[in-house]
Amino acid sequence: MKQLTDITTPFDDIAASKTLPGQDIDWLQQLREQARAQFQRQGLPSKKVEDWKYTSLWALSQEVFTHEAGASQLDEMRCSQTALLETAYRLVIVDGQFSAELSHIDGLETGLTVQPLSQAFSKTKSVLGQQVTLEKAGLNALNTMLMTEGAYIQVTANTKVSKPVELLVINTGETDKLATHLRHVIDIAENAELTLVEHYVSLADDSVGLTDVISEVNLAENARLNHFKLQHESLSHYHVATLAGKQASSSIWHTNNISLGAKLARNDIHSQLLGEQAHVTMDGLYLVAGKQHVDNHTRIDHAVPNTTSEEIYKGVLDGDSHAVFNGKVIVHKDAQKTDANQSNRNLLLSRTCEIDTKPEMEIYADDVKCGHGSTVGQLDEQQLFFLRARGMNETSARSLLTYAFAVEVLQRISDMPIRQALSNVIETRLPRGV
Amino acid sequence: MLTIKNLHASVDGKEILRGIDLTVNPGEIHAIMGPNGAGKSTLSNVLAGREGYEITQGEVIYKGENLLELEPEERAQRGVFLAFQYPVEIPGVSNVYLLKAALNAVRKYQGLEEVDAMDFLTLVREKMKLVKMNEEFLHRNVNEGFSGGEKKRNEILQMAVLEPALAILDETDSGLDIDALRTVSEGVNALRAEDRSIVMITHYQRLLDHIVPDFVHVLSEGRIVKSGDKELAKELEKSGYSWIHDAPEGETA
Ligand SMILES: Nc1ncnc2c1ncn2[C@@H]1O[C@H](COP(=O)(O)OP(=O)(O)OP(=O)(O)O)[C@@H](O)[C@H]1O
Ligand SMILES: [Mg+2]
Repeated sequence: MKQLTDITTPFDDIAASKTLPGQDIDWLQQLREQARAQFQRQGLPSKKVEDWKYTSLWALSQEVFTHEAGASQLDEMRCSQTALLETAYRLVIVDGQFSAELSHIDGLETGLTVQPLSQAFSKTKSVLGQQVTLEKAGLNALNTMLMTEGAYIQVTANTKVSKPVELLVINTGETDKLATHLRHVIDIAENAELTLVEHYVSLADDSVGLTDVISEVNLAENARLNHFKLQHESLSHYHVATLAGKQASSSIWHTNNISLGAKLARNDIHSQLLGEQAHVTMDGLYLVAGKQHVDNHTRIDHAVPNTTSEEIYKGVLDGDSHAVFNGKVIVHKDAQKTDANQSNRNLLLSRTCEIDTKPEMEIYADDVKCGHGSTVGQLDEQQLFFLRARGMNETSARSLLTYAFAVEVLQRISDMPIRQALSNVIETRLPRGV
Repeated sequence: MLTIKNLHASVDGKEILRGIDLTVNPGEIHAIMGPNGAGKSTLSNVLAGREGYEITQGEVIYKGENLLELEPEERAQRGVFLAFQYPVEIPGVSNVYLLKAALNAVRKYQGLEEVDAMDFLTLVREKMKLVKMNEEFLHRNVNEGFSGGEKKRNEILQMAVLEPALAILDETDSGLDIDALRTVSEGVNALRAEDRSIVMITHYQRLLDHIVPDFVHVLSEGRIVKSGDKELAKELEKSGYSWIHDAPEGETA
């Protein structure tokens, strides 16, 4: 049974009519068929589903999206200005299509593969579809039946990649109401290391579109992935994303998820700690104003003994914005010596913004160290007075404290160029005011 | 420099300052002592412009201006500096950023250009030497994770960089070890100048051995009940405050 019955964009008809890449691959065709059957049964989730209680996809379901992008004129210079990092391997997707001209993925170092997914489906069998379930309420089925592009990234055993990889996903806004369905497959072998930035950006301030993306991550033993996501799209855009990974023993996954723009942004982030000594950090920051809506659902499964997780999500809300945080940490039976820490802190700058925060821990083991909490507050009066007593005017002092509250999330980033670049982007939204 | 006349202030209807009179001339150092809860920090906060106090009577004139009508930042820009009894931690703002922003705020008011980056570093390094602070502290967040003594030193560093005309030091000596007390005192003494006045709040005669005041006042229950020179502090050290209630109200030495 469909949850939202009046879906104006006939996604399943599009799946039938469109020539999707990878049609010669049997397992992929089967997977798409399953996904299509599932989507026909389930549709988009309604607010009756617990996980979607605070986020309505009604407006999204009523848009008439197109799946055919017109040719876009984007030159190298504009693209470089848009990128977050200067020194990086760069895979560029413009309006849902891989751009070979704008990408910098020739001459990769040994041990690193970065390819557009449309050309690499055949290599992805061991990871693709393995980290997400089609039955989960959300867009997994939709994405799987329609995914056309994305990145395939593979790092072979013992390779420590010297430069970050930036996946730059640009909406030019030249095709009105364009929907893109992207899938990234990231496979890091034993003892390998990579820094990855997923960067979603719109060039037009008010373009309407949909970015539907799933990133699947597989971390082998002792693999390490520093994983950043910067979502900075138009304030009329829809962004629905899943980031899901499985982690073998001693692997480390640092995720840093920054949401700045979109009319509606939803992230489902999930790590399964499947081997001992595995660690995940899930940090995040959301800045919303006006009528923006952002929803972060995170989940960490401590499945075996001796795994650790740390999570800080912070939010700054202004105007009539609405933010949702739901963080689940599940410590499974026998996952003794789990060490898990989670917090969600929110700064409310207006009276009309709204936050629904729910940190949750389900603990089925007895010898664990777990802590969680959430706070919702205004700027600290003592700090404000202190800054004013040092000569800063009230507006500047408020801006500075707001900026400081936000960038604290970045202070755990050890890669200085990335930390700096992200701080700069945040400063464009929250001027420090001095 | 500063004239306080019959100042009354209350919090939530409770009168805490009950008629303060105090005149501070340029170049003078005044020490204010007095029992816990007497209203010393309240007086400093009122002078610095903290919200939440209702001024029911009296006036404060600073350099010819009605101080109480100015916003906290306007007072700071005109040279009023409060070293906090409990310095505030500001995660996410580095010390160097704060110092620069504070200095530029004062300079802007004075009609000067923003300080040049190199000149600023030279200045800050010199001032850090004065209070014997390691440069590492520049890049740490304001007071975050600082020890009690480090926080106090940090307040004096800010004062040294800003070079205020009127500095109010609220128990800057509390929590300092003996060496730190000497360092901080040397820092303050180095800032003594003919056109700079200092009001020091302290509980201990010890500080006054290092920074010798021109006047010592005893504040009790919201009033200055006794004033004298540095000898008064020595008497207090011996006899405490039990005499206050025996003495006729408002007596001055
Ligand atoms: N915001 C407030 N609300 C209620 N009472 C207050 C407030 N601020 C100050 N007071 C009260 O006013 C009195 C004076 O406080 P103040 O902090 O000025 O004392 P002090 O002389 O600085 O003491 P100490 O030597 O302990 O620092 C105290 O009784 C205090 O409890
Ligand atoms: Mg006090």
